[in-house]
Amino acid sequence: MPCEMQQRRWEHRYCTMWKSLVAAVALVAAIGSVHAASAVNKDAETRTLVVTEGGSKTDLALAGGETVEFCQNGCFVTLPNGDLEALTGSETVEISGGVARIK
Amino acid sequence: MLFRLLRLILILTLVVSAPPSFDAVAQGLGQAPAGLVADQQKILQSLTTKTDNFEKQIQQDAEDDGSLVDIRLQLEELSHQSLNSALAFRTRLGEINSRLEQLGAAPAAGQPPEPDIVSGERQALVSEKAEINSVIAVAQTLSIRISGLIDKIGNMRSELFRNLLTKRYVLSDALSPQVFSDARDEFGNFYKAVSSWLSFAFKFKFQAILAATFVALGLALVLLVGGRRLFGRVFEADPTNEDPSYLSRLSVAFWSTLLPTLAVGAFLGSTIFFFNYYNVLRGDIGLFLNALAAVIGVVFCVNRLTNAALSPRLPNWRLIPVETGPARWLVRLTTAMAVVIGFNYFLSIVNDKMGSPLSLTIARSFGATIIVGVILILMAMLRPFKARDGSWRPWPAWLRYTSLALGLFTIVAALLGYIGLGLFVSSQVVVTGTVLITAYIGFLSARAIGEEGAFANTSVGRWLSANSSYEDTALDQLGLVVSVAINVMIVLVFLPLILLMWGFQPGDIEAWAYKLATGINIGSVTISVTGILSGIVVFVIGYFLTRWFQGWLDGSVMARGKVDTGVRNSIRLAVGYAGVALAALVGISAAGIDLSSLALVAGALSLGIGFGLQNVVSNFVSGLILLAERPFKVGDWIVAGDVSGTVKKISVRATEIETFQRQSVILPNSNLINNAVGNWTHRNKLGRVDIKVGVAYGSDVKQVHAILLEIARSHPLVLKNPEPFVLFSNFGTAALEFEIRVFLADVMNGNIAQNDIRFAVLERFSGEHIEIPSTPRAVVEIHKPKAWPTDDDKIEADFAEQEQVKAEAEAEKRRLAKSRKTKKPDPD
Repeated sequence: MPCEMQQRRWEHRYCTMWKSLVAAVALVAAIGSVHAASAVNKDAETRTLVVTEGGSKTDLALAGGETVEFCQNGCFVTLPNGDLEALTGSETVEISGGVARIK
Repeated sequence: MLFRLLRLILILTLVVSAPPSFDAVAQGLGQAPAGLVADQQKILQSLTTKTDNFEKQIQQDAEDDGSLVDIRLQLEELSHQSLNSALAFRTRLGEINSRLEQLGAAPAAGQPPEPDIVSGERQALVSEKAEINSVIAVAQTLSIRISGLIDKIGNMRSELFRNLLTKRYVLSDALSPQVFSDARDEFGNFYKAVSSWLSFAFKFKFQAILAATFVALGLALVLLVGGRRLFGRVFEADPTNEDPSYLSRLSVAFWSTLLPTLAVGAFLGSTIFFFNYYNVLRGDIGLFLNALAAVIGVVFCVNRLTNAALSPRLPNWRLIPVETGPARWLVRLTTAMAVVIGFNYFLSIVNDKMGSPLSLTIARSFGATIIVGVILILMAMLRPFKARDGSWRPWPAWLRYTSLALGLFTIVAALLGYIGLGLFVSSQVVVTGTVLITAYIGFLSARAIGEEGAFANTSVGRWLSANSSYEDTALDQLGLVVSVAINVMIVLVFLPLILLMWGFQPGDIEAWAYKLATGINIGSVTISVTGILSGIVVFVIGYFLTRWFQGWLDGSVMARGKVDTGVRNSIRLAVGYAGVALAALVGISAAGIDLSSLALVAGALSLGIGFGLQNVVSNFVSGLILLAERPFKVGDWIVAGDVSGTVKKISVRATEIETFQRQSVILPNSNLINNAVGNWTHRNKLGRVDIKVGVAYGSDVKQVHAILLEIARSHPLVLKNPEPFVLFSNFGTAALEFEIRVFLADVMNGNIAQNDIRFAVLERFSGEHIEIPSTPRAVVEIHKPKAWPTDDDKIEADFAEQEQVKAEAEAEKRRLAKSRKTKKPDPD
């Protein structure tokens, strides 16, 4: 039913509001969302990840409880236990008890 | 029945919570996809080979910018593939790790040894993991190598570019008479190639050529005629229109550029397509024809665009307000420039294909550069505007001097032998200039749309006003939004375009945009555009949801549930505040602002806020209490201090009360909480009205009492219970005072009841001869003496004037009488 045909005033108003809302959602969907991988250190002590991104290796030191965003276009990570893993850039690396898990 | 159900639940719980059988898992794990490692190794091997090939190719094509860009793109794809092949191990690695965890660490020395099967499995898993790690390491090395190559390509390209700009040619060699003979040879070759192709085409493919040309022509005609039919109204400038609006000028310019260009493009494109289709073209001729088509298309487009924007024939329809003569010259000059650049491009293709000597290339570029420089200088010298006194005015200084400087620069660079630099600058001037002018016209149109009332006159605005309930002001605001959006869009479209023209890579621009979107770190705070935008969007969505929920609750649920208006209002407001607060919180966290850090700031500021915003906060809290406690609701008649009236609105800081004189009084909520508030209509609208009546001493008080009581009882608005009551209240100084006390069902009708009762009392008393004494007042008669004339002279002058008028009237009368006497009687 078009908004003009809504009988009650508030219905009419909210009908047009819904239209605007749908437009806004479409806009957001059009903008799209970009993500980076993030690493969370749930331990108290500092953990280190070795990140290979764009041709260079860097040490990513995570203090206890810290969350860091890294690796926007895919990278390789050496986890604290020596495992080497590839990330696409949308994962979350969670370190707890010295063991890293990729979610 | 119940027991069966319970049993079922118990069994289900047992099954779900049963620990998984270790053996089964071990067996599952044991069957590792043996091919996985080998597969990925093979893939990586092939990727490495490809990378080797590309590395060689880079060395070979070190001079060719286009092929370097191509290689770079392919290398990026390879890097992506190597990452993907490493990703393939993720699940397997996860399985191995969790299994190793289940197995536990190997027993240390001194502990009892574990079964062989366990240690064997651990051994196998560890070795598989090592294998996988080594494969991933290969992928990593490959990706590092590819990144290195991409960087190298970037360096080589910037080196190439620098070489192009700084390389100096010796002009005396290039411009020697030798060039002319070279050019003649070249032209001869070109002529031979074309004529041999033409004779071949005419002999064997004549019909195909004819068919292709006609089909292409037909397509272009259909496009042009159809376009004219569809957009004829906006397509053609109306010469009779004295003052077309900017928007209509703009749309005419846009469509009259776009449609013919599209038609020509379609014609050229389809011609080449059909030629290809019928196999008319040979290798080099195809290239030449493509280049020629591109040049013709660009020159045509530039010509149409300048014609549309400057419209030398119709001054009213000009987008840029220059005079007619200069407009004509500008069109000619820009077209000439496009022709020169296009011709140069075409010749460069021919030179490339024919393998002509370097001197010819240099001479061609030299000529083109000099001509473009001269045209730039000519444009700068043009005086396009007319001052009020009729003298010609030049371009604004900055434009004139920039154009002059660019023209001189290209000419000087070419003369000094820096042909590459000169050509680069001149082509950049043309391309960037076109983009900038288009963007400028876009900005102008955005401004035109943003003007008051302009949007409503556009076709979209008209459509909106016809098809929706938007009013003029809303349309105007929409126009403003549209103009802002157009501005933003122009920046978003043209900035990257210009950057691309200047040799930046799409990847760089993407990376910048990405940085801007995901966040700029300042200390530990990350500011990101997308974060803030998404926060705002989330808040807006939350806000609208709240409003919708409010409306639904109020309009559908509570109205149908016959809930009291006051309660409805309270609930609506409370829901609104809660919803907006929730939306704000969610929005803030969606924007990426840590709420805990916000709490820290709030804690630090709370003392200051406590002092500074004491009143506001106290009013806010009072407002909440008012909503919860509801000592009065909207529509109540309250008395607060000096203010008495109906409550109109209870909002978060203050309450709006409308007095009976229709004055709105905004009362801070804390006043209503801290001070006594009288509410006439709190539980019910029952109320008492008192009417005082005095009778003279000597009246029959019993009779008076009876009369008053009867009057009170007989009034229709007066309640029977509580009974009306007449109080003999006082022996007053001048009268015996009575008071009629009546209760009304709705105290709002008090005035009506009072009026009626007073009238009735007076009537009955005069009927029964009962006196209502009034305090006598002294009657003072005041004799006002006549005001003494203040201006004697004026009166005298008036009098004299009157006398004179009288005398003149007398004289006139006499004269008339005399003339009548002297007149002879009319002849019979």
